[in-house]
Amino acid sequence: MWRPSNLDRPTGIFIALILLSLTMVTLDLRASGDGLGTTLREGTQAVFAPVQRAVASATRPVADFFENISDMFSLRQENLQLRERVTELERELQETESVNVRLAELEALLGVEPPGDLDSITAQVVAVGVSEFDHLRVIDKGSDDGVGVDMPVVDESGLIGRVIAVTGSVARIRLITDPTMNIVVRVQRTGETGVLRGRGSGPMDLRMFSTNTAVVAGDLLVTADGRFPAGIPVATVNEQARDEVGFALTTTALPLAGVTSIDFVKVLVFTRDQAGVDDLDDLDRLPTGVPADPGDPTEGESDDPPATTTTTTTTTTPATTVP
Amino acid sequence: MKARRLLLALLVVMVSVAIQTTLFARIRPFDAAPALVLLVVIAFARHVPAEYALGIGFFAGFLADLLADSALGLWALVMTTTAYFVVHFRDRLEDDFSLLGPFVFGVTAGALTLFSVLGTIFGQKTLADAGIVKKILLPSLYNMLLAALILPLVTWMLGIARRRTAAFKL
Repeated sequence: MWRPSNLDRPTGIFIALILLSLTMVTLDLRASGDGLGTTLREGTQAVFAPVQRAVASATRPVADFFENISDMFSLRQENLQLRERVTELERELQETESVNVRLAELEALLGVEPPGDLDSITAQVVAVGVSEFDHLRVIDKGSDDGVGVDMPVVDESGLIGRVIAVTGSVARIRLITDPTMNIVVRVQRTGETGVLRGRGSGPMDLRMFSTNTAVVAGDLLVTADGRFPAGIPVATVNEQARDEVGFALTTTALPLAGVTSIDFVKVLVFTRDQAGVDDLDDLDRLPTGVPADPGDPTEGESDDPPATTTTTTTTTTPATTVP
Repeated sequence: MKARRLLLALLVVMVSVAIQTTLFARIRPFDAAPALVLLVVIAFARHVPAEYALGIGFFAGFLADLLADSALGLWALVMTTTAYFVVHFRDRLEDDFSLLGPFVFGVTAGALTLFSVLGTIFGQKTLADAGIVKKILLPSLYNMLLAALILPLVTWMLGIARRRTAAFKL
C-alpha cells in the first residue's frame, strides 16, 4: 500500500516545489497583474537592470562580431533595396507635399484641428525576455524619465508595442506580435477599420469589421483612435482578404517595425486620457503589470500626464486619415 | 564549502539569465536563441545532490518568471521538473557520454513543450504562436551544440574533473 512515507526525499521536495509553483501561478493570475507578483517583478527588474547593462556592455564585442558576420551576407542586397526605396520615397515625398498643402486648406475650410504634437522619449533596448515565448523588451528609460504604463512605443518604421510596466529607471514593452495583443487599425486607403492580432512570430492576423470593402495586398494599416494615437503605421497587408462565411474579412499583415532587431525606440507620451476610449487589449491576459480593469489606476498611470525630462524630443504623429 | 558551491551555482544561474536576456537578444541565428538558463540547470542537475538540483531549478525558474511576461511560477514549475528529470536519468548518462547531446536536445524540447502547454492552459496563448515548432526545436538544437561548452564548464567549476562514481557531495 502506498503511503506518503514511501516517497524518497527528492520526490517529496519535488512535489512540494511543484505545488508551490502552482500556488504562485494561481495567486498571480488571481491578482490580475496587481499585488505581490507585480511588486516582485518590478523590484527584480530594477535590481537586475544594472546587471543586464553590465553584461550587455561586456558582451558587446562578441555580439558585434557575430552581427558583422551576418551583416556581410545581407548588406549588398539591403543596399540595393534601400536605393530603390529612396527613389520611391523621394517621389512619394513630392506627392505628399502637395497633398499636405491641400489638406491644410481643407482643414482650414472645415474648421478641423490637425492632430496635436506628441512628446516622445528616446530609449535604448537593454534586454529581451528570457525565452522565445516572451514578446517583450526592456528599455533604459523609466518613470523618472516620464515613461508611463500604456504609452505607445514606435521605431522609425512604425508601432512596436506599448509599455506594460515601469520602474524608476527601466520600462517593459510588450511587442505588437504578442498573441494577446489586439490593435484597432484602419486601412489607410479605404478608411475601413479592423482588428490586428499578433501571432507570436511572422505575419499578424487581420480581421476587418466590414465585409463590403476589399482589402488588398500592400494596403497600409495605421492605428485607429483608441489606446494608441491615430495614424501610426503598424503593418502592411500581406495578401488579399478573404470573406469568412460572410461575417468578416480576414487576412494577414506584416508588421512594419523590425520587432526582432530593434535597438533604439521612441516612447510617445500619450496617456489613456488622451485616448478617450477604453482598449480592447489584453483583457484576457492577467499576469501583467497592467490591471485588467482599464479604469483602475496603477503605477505609471495617473490623471496627470507624466512630466517629460530634458531627454524629451518633440515629434508629430502621422496624419490621421479621416473617413 | 557547501555554501560556497551553492552560491556559485546561484551566481552562474544569474549570469546565464543576464546573458540570455542581453547577448542572445543580438545573436539569434535563424531568429532563435539557445535556452541558456535551461542548459545551466541541466548542467548543474547532472552533478549536485538531488535536493540542491531541485532548488537550483526552482531558483532559476523563479528568476526567469520575474523577468518574463508569463505567470509567476510557470518557469519555476518547468525548470524544477527539468531538474528532477535530469536527476533521475543522470546515472544512465554516465555510462554513455554519446547520449548527452541527444539527452540535452530532448530535455530542452520537452521543457519548452511543457512550458507551451502550461502557458496555454494558464491563458498565455503560447500554443497559438505561429512559429511554435521553430521556437521549440531551434533552441533545443542550439542547446545541444552549446552543451559541448557549458556542461564541461560547469563540471570544471564544481571541481569534478573526473567521471562521477557516486552522488556528488557538496
